[in-house]
Amino acid sequence: MPKAVSYKTNSIVYFKGDINEKIYILNNGRVSLNYNDIETGQEMHDLIKTGEFFGVKSAIGKYPREETAVVLQDSAMIAFSVSEFEQIVLQNTRIMIKMLKVFSNQLRRIHKQVRNLLRSGTDVSDPETGLFNIGEYYLKVRKGKQAIYALRRYLTYYPSGKYASEASRLLESAESGSVPNINPISAGSGRQPGVDLSEIAKSYYNAVSLFSQEKFKEALSGFQRILENGVDGEYEAKAKYEIGRCQYNLQKYELCIKHFTSLIQKYPKHPDLIDSLFYVGKSYEGMNNIEKAAGFFKKVIAMAKDEAPIMRKAKKALKGLEGN
Amino acid sequence: MALDLSMFNRFAVNFQAGDIVFCEHEPGDNFYLIQSGRVQIVKIIDDLEKIIDILQPGEIFGEMAILEEAPRSASAVALDNVKALEFNRENFEILMKGTPQIALKLLKLFTKRIYDQKRRFLILTLDDSQAKIADVFLMLSETQPAHDEDVNERIFMTTVEDIAHWAGVSPVESKRILSQFASQRRLEIFPDRIIVQNINDFARFVNSKRRSQVS
Repeated sequence: MPKAVSYKTNSIVYFKGDINEKIYILNNGRVSLNYNDIETGQEMHDLIKTGEFFGVKSAIGKYPREETAVVLQDSAMIAFSVSEFEQIVLQNTRIMIKMLKVFSNQLRRIHKQVRNLLRSGTDVSDPETGLFNIGEYYLKVRKGKQAIYALRRYLTYYPSGKYASEASRLLESAESGSVPNINPISAGSGRQPGVDLSEIAKSYYNAVSLFSQEKFKEALSGFQRILENGVDGEYEAKAKYEIGRCQYNLQKYELCIKHFTSLIQKYPKHPDLIDSLFYVGKSYEGMNNIEKAAGFFKKVIAMAKDEAPIMRKAKKALKGLEGN
Repeated sequence: MALDLSMFNRFAVNFQAGDIVFCEHEPGDNFYLIQSGRVQIVKIIDDLEKIIDILQPGEIFGEMAILEEAPRSASAVALDNVKALEFNRENFEILMKGTPQIALKLLKLFTKRIYDQKRRFLILTLDDSQAKIADVFLMLSETQPAHDEDVNERIFMTTVEDIAHWAGVSPVESKRILSQFASQRRLEIFPDRIIVQNINDFARFVNSKRRSQVS
């Protein structure tokens, strides 16, 4: 049973180093958690607000208290066992989510501190180089599946990155199941970005460029040619997405809806999934099916990140519908 | 803990054995709850694929993505055919409200991670590489289940590379220090394990180094 306890000014609820599985909530009074900052060694005093839990981490984690809890003025609190605490937070997700936020901030901070200390050490490569190196590593040890994944990811995130041409070359050989010569690549070798992309990549970017010039018909046939040549993987998925966008812009709404529907079924994890849904919504709008259009825009709003441009677009589109 | 997760079926994703769920250095924005199958967490260190952890159904991974869009610090590879629920920051709160048990699990995970990272930080603040390595053994000892107080010998299923990684000391230097410890008969090195003869001896050594650093 949770127990009400009271403490006099200057008494100690627990000492740093104590092993104790109680969790407290402060009802009234003043309690300070005193500890030394691990980075600076400076003595820290964190004041507990009334209604706030303390002693949570060391109790749930079953490790020694990391701070001394000093009572600054007569205080009343309730002491819980770990399982009592769990019952309370399970019934009160708001508290738990708040706590998760606090802990995640602490975790982020300590991560940063650890990284800073390690930075003086070696092997801190930038993520771009790191991702490419992993693809290269898996290819070298003949783990083709993993190599293909890493290299495709590389080309998705860094389509004109410093290793893009090398990555396309390695990807091709990974896909054909052979192990190519791996050139030692020194970082910053001054490779021109995107000079020497594979043929498929080249035709893909050509079509993208046509699209951006609003030559939708030409772009559409460009993307279709890529598919006819029988590519698979990243470029197939990318080209298919672009075909849908062309169809929308050419006002072939029915085709566009059909196209994106099958795309979403085939690639439930497509990076442009949310945008695809948006175009389905826009197509319905074009066909004056307001109800369906609104449904898709709402879906986009539910799935998109707050700051994403697609979010704004969908909100605007939805508002536009209501105006009708 | 039997959880009814059927309401989250729309978040289900499947991986075949050997599939990469995500790759080290890739930007991360999803995290996963394993429903069936196991997932290996691996890292490529010095041209070797090192298994950091093997996760079982019910476990969460990739959760750092909820915190920051930092690149993944390790790769996750399906060890069996895996079914998992995939969440991101947007639907995180829906998940937490719908299934507080998962939130609680995450709360515990964060608690453990914070502690581990703080402990690691303490190791890294030691100036002396010997002390760092001794402190890694103390850390590993702390996470082992309770011991008979009278027995000072500790067996660690670990390798020189692991120790080097935790200590933030180069593998070459770590090897040198470990063989020095071995020649002093403070530990024995085997391919799959390291036996520390007297863990209290290491504790005294690390504490004295730490004190001398403070003063």
